[in-house]
Amino acid sequence: MSFCNTTCPYCGVGCGVSAELDQGNVIAVMGDGNHPANAGRLCVKGTALAETLGDEGRLLHPRAKGQTVSWDEALDTVAAKLRDTRDRHGPGSIAFYLSGQLLTEDYYVANKLMKGFLGSANVDTNSRLCMSSAVAAYKRAFGEDLVPCSYDDVESAELLVMVGSNAAWTHPVVYQRIVAAKRANPNKRVVVVDTRRTATCDAADLHLQIQPGSDAFLFAGLLNHLAGSRLLDDAYIERHTEGLEAALAAVAGIDRAHVLSATGLSESVLSTFYQWFGDTEKTVTLYSQGINQSSTGTDKCNAIINCHLATGRIGKPGAGPFSITGQPNAMGGREVGGLANQLAAHMDFADDEVDRVARFWNASDMASSPGLKAVDMFQAAADGKIRFLWIMATNPAVSLPDTAMVKAALERCDFVVVSDCTEDTDTARRADMVLPAAGWGEKDGTVTNSERVISRQRSLVAAAGEARPDWWMVTEVARRLGLGAHFDYDGPAAIFREHAALSAFENNGQRAFNIGGLSGVSDAEYRRLAPVRWPVAPGVSSELLADGHYFTRTGKAQLVPIVPRLPPAVEHHALNTGRLRDQWHTMTRTGRVPRLSRHRDFFSIGVSPADARAAQLEEGELVAVANTQGQVTGLVTIDEGLADGQVFAPIHWSEQFSSAGAISALVPALTDPHSGQPQSKFADVQILAVAVNSWGRLFSRRETRLQGLAYWSRIPVDGGFLYLVADHATPGALADQLKQQLEIGNERSISYLDAENQTLRELYLRDEQLQHAFFLHPARAGLPPQAWMAALGTQALPDKPHTLLAGCTPGIENAGALVCSCWEVGENSIRTAIGEGADSVEALGEKLRCGSQCGSCIPELRQMLAEEKKDCAA
Amino acid sequence: MSPETLIIGAGMATAYLLQELENRGHDGDITVIGDERDCCYNRVLLSSLLAGETAEEALRLLPADQGRATRFIAGTRVEKVDTQNRLVRCDNGHEQHYDQLVFATGSSVAKPEIAGADVAGVGVFRTLDDTRKLLEVPGENRQVVVIGGGLLGLEAAHGLNQRGHRTTVLHRNQWLMNRQLDEEGGRVLQRELESQGMNIQLGASASRVHSENNHIIGVELDNGDYLDCQLLLVATGIAPNRQLAAAAGLATDRGIVVDGQLRCSINNVFALGECSQLGEHCFGLVAPIRKQAKVLAGQLTNRPGTDFEIDDWPTQLKISGIDLYRAGVLDTDAEHLVLRDPDHGVYRRLVIRDDQLIGAVLVGDKRGGTWYAELIHNRRNIAALRHGLMFGPEMAQTLAPATAA
Repeated sequence: MSFCNTTCPYCGVGCGVSAELDQGNVIAVMGDGNHPANAGRLCVKGTALAETLGDEGRLLHPRAKGQTVSWDEALDTVAAKLRDTRDRHGPGSIAFYLSGQLLTEDYYVANKLMKGFLGSANVDTNSRLCMSSAVAAYKRAFGEDLVPCSYDDVESAELLVMVGSNAAWTHPVVYQRIVAAKRANPNKRVVVVDTRRTATCDAADLHLQIQPGSDAFLFAGLLNHLAGSRLLDDAYIERHTEGLEAALAAVAGIDRAHVLSATGLSESVLSTFYQWFGDTEKTVTLYSQGINQSSTGTDKCNAIINCHLATGRIGKPGAGPFSITGQPNAMGGREVGGLANQLAAHMDFADDEVDRVARFWNASDMASSPGLKAVDMFQAAADGKIRFLWIMATNPAVSLPDTAMVKAALERCDFVVVSDCTEDTDTARRADMVLPAAGWGEKDGTVTNSERVISRQRSLVAAAGEARPDWWMVTEVARRLGLGAHFDYDGPAAIFREHAALSAFENNGQRAFNIGGLSGVSDAEYRRLAPVRWPVAPGVSSELLADGHYFTRTGKAQLVPIVPRLPPAVEHHALNTGRLRDQWHTMTRTGRVPRLSRHRDFFSIGVSPADARAAQLEEGELVAVANTQGQVTGLVTIDEGLADGQVFAPIHWSEQFSSAGAISALVPALTDPHSGQPQSKFADVQILAVAVNSWGRLFSRRETRLQGLAYWSRIPVDGGFLYLVADHATPGALADQLKQQLEIGNERSISYLDAENQTLRELYLRDEQLQHAFFLHPARAGLPPQAWMAALGTQALPDKPHTLLAGCTPGIENAGALVCSCWEVGENSIRTAIGEGADSVEALGEKLRCGSQCGSCIPELRQMLAEEKKDCAA
Repeated sequence: MSPETLIIGAGMATAYLLQELENRGHDGDITVIGDERDCCYNRVLLSSLLAGETAEEALRLLPADQGRATRFIAGTRVEKVDTQNRLVRCDNGHEQHYDQLVFATGSSVAKPEIAGADVAGVGVFRTLDDTRKLLEVPGENRQVVVIGGGLLGLEAAHGLNQRGHRTTVLHRNQWLMNRQLDEEGGRVLQRELESQGMNIQLGASASRVHSENNHIIGVELDNGDYLDCQLLLVATGIAPNRQLAAAAGLATDRGIVVDGQLRCSINNVFALGECSQLGEHCFGLVAPIRKQAKVLAGQLTNRPGTDFEIDDWPTQLKISGIDLYRAGVLDTDAEHLVLRDPDHGVYRRLVIRDDQLIGAVLVGDKRGGTWYAELIHNRRNIAALRHGLMFGPEMAQTLAPATAA
């Protein structure tokens, strides 16, 4: 038995993970106590990492149009298609679409090949969807993409303003650090600015439930207020910034009344916030996708940054504008130039920078101008301009806006390569060639988290099947293009050294990103590399901006004049999208872990109580949200945290797990003019009730994409899968369809039919083992409890198997929705414990252990405690 | 002096009646005259006996000392009843006076007309003696044909099959036990019996017995088929034994007509069991006959109770280890809940009309049967229970929508 330290592949917190290995298997993971990001903490997704390993669902061999081929054949084909396309249609016809899931080394070689040797800058990444507005804003303000804060600053800040961030669910470990810091320092205040009342609000002293898209008004108004109240730091402004006058002129009209009307806030809430901000030196504004994913995201970020620059609250402990990223290596991607408008190592397409990088790379065909950003890249493919597309480690058919356009692009493009660790994604099934990539626990390299800490992600186990790291695939293709000499790496350490050397190449203090101090690491040192915060270079302080020096031409920070704009008024409802607590991205990994599907199970759409009443929707019934781009159908979740007129849908579902749950289908391909980041959190949608004639719960050993149903959604359970289905067909007709789609043939059937009530239940057995179970009813109310269904895959078949058709076994307690995923504690157990006298989170933890590990469920525990208390008082 | 009671017939009904009389402390003279060699044994267990699953002693229905208060005259047939003089005359010339007379003459197998059937190897399966004869059929692997796929025929066939004989059942109807089961239930039963090695031919009847040396060698079917066989059993349903009563001038129809107190058309004469008829109903099951015995015991001891009433008597059977249960009616135009597990020999159908359970047929798993019979009998509204009704009382309660407290 041994332990190996690595990093978690999920969110941008970038926690260190300690994996326990036994005979080549990962048997458990826990937080790495020595990692600066988490100091031993780990959220539920991270804790379940070991459960995501294994060959199930993995892409194991290269495949060309569904046929398994050898690596040689696959790489020869990819290289030939790449060369031919470029030769015949020019460098603009080829593109790579990368991912924040890639390791820095993978990113580096892909970027180098395209921009240095194929003459195209058509390299973009899914990080475009995540934080490119934050990057653009940092660059506008600081002259370079640099995050000026750390998690320590978040802890030590006396005022933490969280904007557009549900960190309790999206960055749970940072959230836990905030909660702990608040407990340690009773003077610490937390303000949450969010259109929704989320779990994060549990830690908030003040929640500003603003109107969608009105954030910039809040901060423009704040700047105006600070100036009017003479709360600006004139000395700092004078010495370290430029552009104050223009910035103030732009917000001069944004008075209190204007802010109140745009945000919908009450006077007292707004005043409190402005007063706290004005009074508190140590203020960190932590912002995330709620700010970035907007057609004016860059301006919103600069509106925030302006307030920090104008008050000198930056470059000091416990102060600064902190963009926290969504992905594990979005930052690494930014560092190597994984975005189409960056070149490499924080250099852009200025002539001198192009020249410098070309010389460093000894480039044979250097791109000299920016390439197409994600949305434009896929639009170009849809228009027939991009004809070769290599997609690595991401699922744009689900995650990009206007998925209909993306799917059309994948259809139209002459040759689509997808390298991924998952076999059957919505993107991979539209590829001409799929290449099996090493996944977490197999691949080896580095990642950079949201606070600029570079950590090693280490290989723990042998790669599944024939899977290979992405950097290997890229270099093998490069070799076949005759570029072998430029891509001659014997492993990720060699790539890392080159990347580090490029960051220091002719740097002279011009670029903040400098890890030249690591360019000489030996293979052994690389293997052992401890987490390290950049910059790492001789004579360079790792505390960026402490000296007030910025990386603009003048060395001064730029205040950007921001004229806030509201999004166009919606005709119907404003759609907001986001993450759930226990799922990650398009669920290709977390979607395989039963306990991660128990906090929130099937695809659901959140509706406010009043909107639900108006549309006559009941919890758990079907609802569609639709606009001219498409329609998505889910279960109604009545969410009291939603303001009227707003709808919320999680981003995780795809054709793989549900009928029409890819919410991006409804998001228009509208992007921010500076960053190209799409406005994923805002769309105009209509709420439509969906009438169906059948509801069904299915257990099946088989993982199937059901077709042609009004609704279906699937979650994994031990020993199989649970499906929830609903359709216009009658239960009988639906059963026939399902039998066909699940390819049920020779199994022995056991059935129950109440024809008048249209109730149909069927079991299918093979070798006295349950293979499938259908429970089809005209209404959802009659279906068996989910907990009971979920146990079908593992329980022994009863003596009289037909008794299962009752859909219930007396004695199996229904624990309810999983609240604590770490200890698998359900809602019903918690409510019972509260009823029996557990009156605090701590008491519940003592009794049931819930909330005592990662702490992600504490906001929900608190809410239940409050609800039960209210019930008692009533 | 207490009245002298005479019971004609020594079957199960008589056994129950004697028990009930004893329960009431009846101390008068009782004489039982039976035409079988054996008295008051459990006829239901004859198929088990034939199958070798039960010993003969287990068939005893009355305690060994029962005889002290009761005089049994076995192997004797009553030939004539003189109701005017309250006298019966037996085939051996014995005459017996009575004050109260009870007909418990049971029923006999209704024999179909089959040409050439009057030879050795053609028999019936009704009495302990019949069974003993069958048990004496030598060896195994004989070819046996049973005519009649009702309860009696299947029980006989099961017993013979268990003894290793190659058994074929000829059944005139389209499914087995068509009086008790619906077609699908009959088919499930058939599949189970066939899986035990029984041969079953539906829609078939025998037209002629072939014999050699006055012993059966085969049977010809009316569809022209021919089956070799060394033994032919006729089990085509039963008919109440009413002839003796009719000759005595008692009102009879299919059976001996009685009222709710089991009184016949002549004073001091009573009837119970399979020979009796109340209204349109004749009786063949244990449950109603036990009730009759209670009512009649009240009459005979001069402490009459409430009338015997026709009820929805559920049929509860076990053939070849297969549970069967039937209660109520199986109307096809009503609403049906159906559970099918053909591979495990399970079939359950519940019939509902106007939110009341009106019928139930259970094959292979009769759990809940008594409860269904109660629901049928009590005409309870089952709307709230419907969801889980098929799965028994506990489940139906569990699955019922919560009602407001």
